[in-house]
Amino acid sequence: MSRPSKERLEARGVAVAFGGIRALSGVDLELRRGEVLGLIGPNGAGKTTMVNVLSGFQRPTSGSISLDGIDVSKLTARKIAQAGVGRSFQAARLFRAMTVEQNLSVAAIGSGLSRKAARERALEILDWMGLAKKADNRCDSLSYGDERRVSIARALALQPSFALLDEPASGMNDAECEALMEVIAELPARFGCGVLLIEHNMKVIMGVCQRIHVLDGGQSLAEGSPQDIQKNPAVRRAYLGEKAADSTLAI
Amino acid sequence: MANIVQVLVDAIALGSLYALVALAIGLVFGVMRLVNFAQADYITIGAYALVVPTVSVTPPLLLGALPSALMIGGVLVVVMALALLTERVAFRPLRNSNPSTLLISSFAVSYFLQNLVMLIHTGRPKSVGIGQGLANAVEIGGVRVPGVQLLTMVVTAGLLVALVLFLKKTPLGIQMRAAAENFQMARLLGMPANRVIALAFAISGLLGGAVSLLLTIQTGTLDLRMGLMPVVYAFFATVIGGMGSLPGAALGGFLVGVASVLLQTYLPADLRPFRDAGVFMMVILILLVRPQGLIVTSAAKERV
Amino acid sequence: MKSDTMSFATIGRFWFPVLALVIPLAIIVVVTGQFGGLSIQRTVIEMLISIVIVVGLYVFVGNSGIISFGHATFMAIAAYASAWQTCCEMLKPITMSGLPPFLRDQSIPLLPSAVVSVLLAGGAAFLTGLVIMRLTGLAASISTLAVLFILNVVYSNWDSVTMGSASIVGLPTYVTAWLALGCAVFAIVIAYLYQVSAFGLAIRATREDEVAAAASGISLYWSRLIAFTLSGFMVGLGGVLQAHYLGTVSINSFFLSFTFLALAMLIVGGMGSLAGAVVGVVVITAMVDIFRRLEGGISIGGEQWSLPAGTQELIIAAFMLLILVFRKDGIMAGREMTLPGQEQREKGLING
Ligand SMILES: Nc1ncnc2c1ncn2[C@@H]1O[C@H](COP(=O)(O)OP(=O)(O)OP(=O)(O)O)[C@@H](O)[C@H]1O
Ligand SMILES: [Mg+2]
Repeated sequence: MSRPSKERLEARGVAVAFGGIRALSGVDLELRRGEVLGLIGPNGAGKTTMVNVLSGFQRPTSGSISLDGIDVSKLTARKIAQAGVGRSFQAARLFRAMTVEQNLSVAAIGSGLSRKAARERALEILDWMGLAKKADNRCDSLSYGDERRVSIARALALQPSFALLDEPASGMNDAECEALMEVIAELPARFGCGVLLIEHNMKVIMGVCQRIHVLDGGQSLAEGSPQDIQKNPAVRRAYLGEKAADSTLAI
Repeated sequence: MANIVQVLVDAIALGSLYALVALAIGLVFGVMRLVNFAQADYITIGAYALVVPTVSVTPPLLLGALPSALMIGGVLVVVMALALLTERVAFRPLRNSNPSTLLISSFAVSYFLQNLVMLIHTGRPKSVGIGQGLANAVEIGGVRVPGVQLLTMVVTAGLLVALVLFLKKTPLGIQMRAAAENFQMARLLGMPANRVIALAFAISGLLGGAVSLLLTIQTGTLDLRMGLMPVVYAFFATVIGGMGSLPGAALGGFLVGVASVLLQTYLPADLRPFRDAGVFMMVILILLVRPQGLIVTSAAKERV
Repeated sequence: MKSDTMSFATIGRFWFPVLALVIPLAIIVVVTGQFGGLSIQRTVIEMLISIVIVVGLYVFVGNSGIISFGHATFMAIAAYASAWQTCCEMLKPITMSGLPPFLRDQSIPLLPSAVVSVLLAGGAAFLTGLVIMRLTGLAASISTLAVLFILNVVYSNWDSVTMGSASIVGLPTYVTAWLALGCAVFAIVIAYLYQVSAFGLAIRATREDEVAAAASGISLYWSRLIAFTLSGFMVGLGGVLQAHYLGTVSINSFFLSFTFLALAMLIVGGMGSLAGAVVGVVVITAMVDIFRRLEGGISIGGEQWSLPAGTQELIIAAFMLLILVFRKDGIMAGREMTLPGQEQREKGLING
């Protein structure tokens, strides 16, 4: 493997154990700026744990994280966020009593902007995502789909070099998924960031990812282009159990 | 040398008393994330139950007039009933509130009870003589130990052992410990909340009643604020022990008690009034070094 | 872009939540000043001072969601500091012989002394905050209690400087209704500007969700420390006002009963909004006043009738519990005052 280099968020030999449970054991993962990398795997594979490690919320039991070639394993989640790693959560975790605009502004402020500049950035992102009309709505009044979109928008308001999105499409209907795919596909060009996308919906993954990394039982199973992954027998076995010749992967 | 032994005896007696109160606080915290200010008033009211409500400073005895066994039983029952009542009336409706709301509500309950006692018994300190025979010192191996001290140690040791056995050996006790260690999980796994929470309050009442009696025998006075200091010490004990950890609470209680006695003994006379400030400073310094407390439980960490 | 379009309407909309609180207060002062009796006027001044204190408390507690039992400490620090500087020049060398000579042998003019006292309170809040704000919410709450006790023990026993638990009497009493109103307005404006600022937004985010706030690059520690310090300054101002309204300072008036009352005001009104803090003060002050009068005795149909002393405290505590059970976000439920019809839009500016 290559040495830690610029323009990359890298995990090397990351292992995480919760008591007896080994959520991750020795995973290498590399996210480059400008790409969309899919992270897939069955429930409990360790995907969320990987995102937690990359964003500083979970100290790895062993292994290290580097950001643009600099070791960030010891930094707090807040410092990593400020260094340019934005993330969303599997459960949206919005600031519920605050408005949509304020939710985004918080992240913009966290990245160092003034209140006024933060508001401008927030409105710009909301506009782009078609959420401008909701800017002054309180988040506890949003529909489920909007909640999920706002949580992505908030991660972007940090103006991250790397955005880690944990199941952004879960619970969305087909039309919403389509719209979301467009948004995600555009992220690298628009924000110049790399995107790590966790998703169970294979249509979304196959549609927007340049590369896919497969986790199973806390270990890397495979990595490659969507076509390679689709064909990979080990992936099909792990992912779909024994009835591997199913149609879900082969959209 | 004998002097040092005496200091140690004092330190252990007070330390275990505070450990007891800290456990009462810790148990209730464990099962519902409530830091219970009203524990102070459980103790106070238990003591006031010994006397007839009058304006007199040397009131006639009420429960205190009964034979020892009945008196003890009476006080314990009164305090346990009070603890259960507060749980039912004030805390149960708030059960799913956040810890800050619970904390503030217990502050209100405490303020209510304290003023209720004042309304009934007036605010003046009163003197009450129970267990006078215990004032005599007992000589053990060349050290004169006051009977009250000895009693405190025996009672607290007995209660601590009983509590540990209960928590380790009985199904309800094990559930209670599980709840304290990982509250969310215990709830998910179907801990019978009403029963376990009521039991935790009952035990905190029992311990509170025992502390009422010990304090009253020690000082011979009743005071509206008599429960306050032990409970405040116990709060700090649970924090430095690690919130949510029962062994931590006991350890913390023991530490603050011992520290208090040592400061009382070894501070120069003109600094002695500042003893409590010294102990509380120490609490804050410990937290500076270990913000999560001495024993960190999974309860302290949120799962992302 | 935005500043070009700043019109009276936008400015008005921005300041509405403040005006909606300040104007009624001013009206109360004018009306009671014209038509009210002396005791009503006194109650109004006490209420305005309480607003300074509770709004100060709100700046930390409301925005961070962490209950503080320690703010009476900073009030006491300011009140005593002001007493040392301005009180009883003749008696000071005897009653407070432990004071350093520059304080003991002279008085310091009122305004500089007030400023110094407030600065001291804020400085003390900053120093305690440095340690305590590292803790998780509940542990921080309990540690503020430790701070309260430490100061109480120290000031009650530091006889040569604080006169122990006795009252220091003879402070100049310069607090009028208008001065109290001015300070209350000042406190409300500061609290408002803070809560709509970047700092205010950041700490409110930590109150909503600490984890998501960290993922947004917000420092829990610094945002709490800033709020704690600012609120220390503000309650310090309240302490100075109280000292120079009553003319006496006593450590026991800065302990648990006081803390309870201030928190009750905040909780009853609703700790989630500035309007809640102010409304809570007004409601509780009115209740306390009514029951204090009933305890003092009134005559109904020629018959003297009074409530036993202590009823007022019982009723306030019970009322607060009822609010917690049945309306746990308080009377204002976290909302600011809004113009009717602009509710939805306004929330954006204000409620964050
Ligand atoms: N804080 C924790 N404490 C204990 N176990 C944990 C913790 N976090 C995760 N685990 C365990 O680690 C394993 C991996 O969990 P993780 O959440 O990373 O899976 P995932 O791939 O995101 O699954 P899903 O698709 O369901 O979101 C699981 O067995 C989970 O139960
Ligand atoms: Mg997951």
